[in-house]
Amino acid sequence: MSFRLRRTVTAYLMLLPTLVLIGVFVVYPIVDSFIISFFKWDMLSPNKPFVGLQNYIYIFQDPLFHTALKNTVLYVVFFVPIVLVLGLLTAVLLNMRIRLLPLFRTAFFIPYVTSLAATGIVWQWIFNDQFGLLNYLLERVGLSAQDWLNEPRWTLFNIIVMGVWQNLGYVAVIFLAGLQNISREYYEAADVDGATPWQKFARITVPLLSPTTYFLLILTTIEAFKVFLQIYVLYGETAGPNNSGMTLLYYMFTKGFGDYRMGYACASAYVLFLIVFIFTLAQMALSRRVHYEA
Amino acid sequence: MKKFWAYAVLVVLCLFVLGPFIWMLATSVKPDAEVLTAVPHLFPEHWAFDNYAKAWASAPFARYFWNSFLVSALETLFDLTFGAMAAYAFARMDFIGRNVLFVALLATMMVPGEVLLIPNYITVSNLNWLNTYQGLIVPWMVSVFTIFLMRQFFLGLPREVFEAAELDGCGPLRTLFGIIMPISKPIWITSALIKFVGAWNAFLWVLIIANSSDYYTLPIGLINFSTDVGTVYNQLMAAATFSVVPLIILFLFGQRYFIEGIARSGIK
Repeated sequence: MSFRLRRTVTAYLMLLPTLVLIGVFVVYPIVDSFIISFFKWDMLSPNKPFVGLQNYIYIFQDPLFHTALKNTVLYVVFFVPIVLVLGLLTAVLLNMRIRLLPLFRTAFFIPYVTSLAATGIVWQWIFNDQFGLLNYLLERVGLSAQDWLNEPRWTLFNIIVMGVWQNLGYVAVIFLAGLQNISREYYEAADVDGATPWQKFARITVPLLSPTTYFLLILTTIEAFKVFLQIYVLYGETAGPNNSGMTLLYYMFTKGFGDYRMGYACASAYVLFLIVFIFTLAQMALSRRVHYEA
Repeated sequence: MKKFWAYAVLVVLCLFVLGPFIWMLATSVKPDAEVLTAVPHLFPEHWAFDNYAKAWASAPFARYFWNSFLVSALETLFDLTFGAMAAYAFARMDFIGRNVLFVALLATMMVPGEVLLIPNYITVSNLNWLNTYQGLIVPWMVSVFTIFLMRQFFLGLPREVFEAAELDGCGPLRTLFGIIMPISKPIWITSALIKFVGAWNAFLWVLIIANSSDYYTLPIGLINFSTDVGTVYNQLMAAATFSVVPLIILFLFGQRYFIEGIARSGIK
């Protein structure tokens, strides 16, 4: 056996656990999910007829799926810009050589490491229409109380607030690392030329931060398309009043583990996958045109 | 003056971020009569620490804690071991198919894990692993992110370290676990923390795999408790508090590693 071949065998032995586990629990399900999406199946019966594109046709005609798609897109459209802007603001402030930086950074990060199952219960209590903190504060400043949890028009607002709240620290920490990577010399040179703080932000910070921004844009968009947990912890198994919290992943969950319609569930999972995939590719293509020298 | 505004905005943002935790703590020590009041107050008139004992006794929380700990610890242990082995192969061994395989592994990170939920549920069910620890743990014993982090770190170590070990006749496993891992402490602490936190907070998978409270982890147990007790908010908040405290403590101790790992993933 040649040296390289022996080396290859050893290497694959080192990789064996990884390859087996990724093969069984990642690669195989990617294929299997696709196959199931062309069958009618309740997961239990041996009867599993091939139905071609029927499952895809069904979900695209299903009003509930339209609701899910609409809500998911609305969530992405609001959540992503809000969390990025607030995260950047937080990072810029933290980068101003302030005191107690570690303390602030820790505080912002805590929601990200705590389970939404626990903090979601607190939000439920805050959103409570009669005794909740939010309504109390609103009334104190002269606004009228709202039935946050039972009125469909507030559902999206509630889950966006929770999403932003949980991910703000994460986004801020990554932005902060990006900011700290920008050489101070640029700012010093700009100071010599008499640039205003806004000019410095727009002409130095934003362009040089763009790799970080694109990374976060891709990441938060993908995460946002998979929104599920906020809805589940706030509303239980109902997807909110009037399905106002129905999202793509919730739809998949309902079809799969509520109705046992695996074909529909896998078809909707693939639609979600495809959307995420297209977004990732589009954003990666965009990011080629981004500055990379810092 | 500029700094004053920076502090002002940061404090407001901090109140938004920490507000729910403060309110959770405040409610958790109020007696029943002070919970649902028209005018909420932060500090209770009478402290009711027994909410914690009552909440703890009304559901098998000890069991949930143990399950959470066991599942998270084992997942982390396997993830570190297998991840280090894979990272070592990718960073230090020249073998046929290395680059293709590495790119393929990275590509799997683009697939949302939720897409895999149904086939994986079927696999676990066919293995008769529903309601078992192996069903909760085995599918999550390897993560590509850990392999990626460790590989980057190993590539940054001086070649001489590896070469010296190999010249001494150490095989790859001895080199890795005897020499490389002890000097790679920062990266495996980082990987371990990220994995542990993720495993501790895992929700959807546990929700579908564990149908009996014997195998519930804390997040699922807590949601069930919340459905059972409805609006007994002081006990609910007590339960929420003791569920998040271990993780917050872990984070406070390990945050340097944790945040650096997260930040590094953004720079690449």
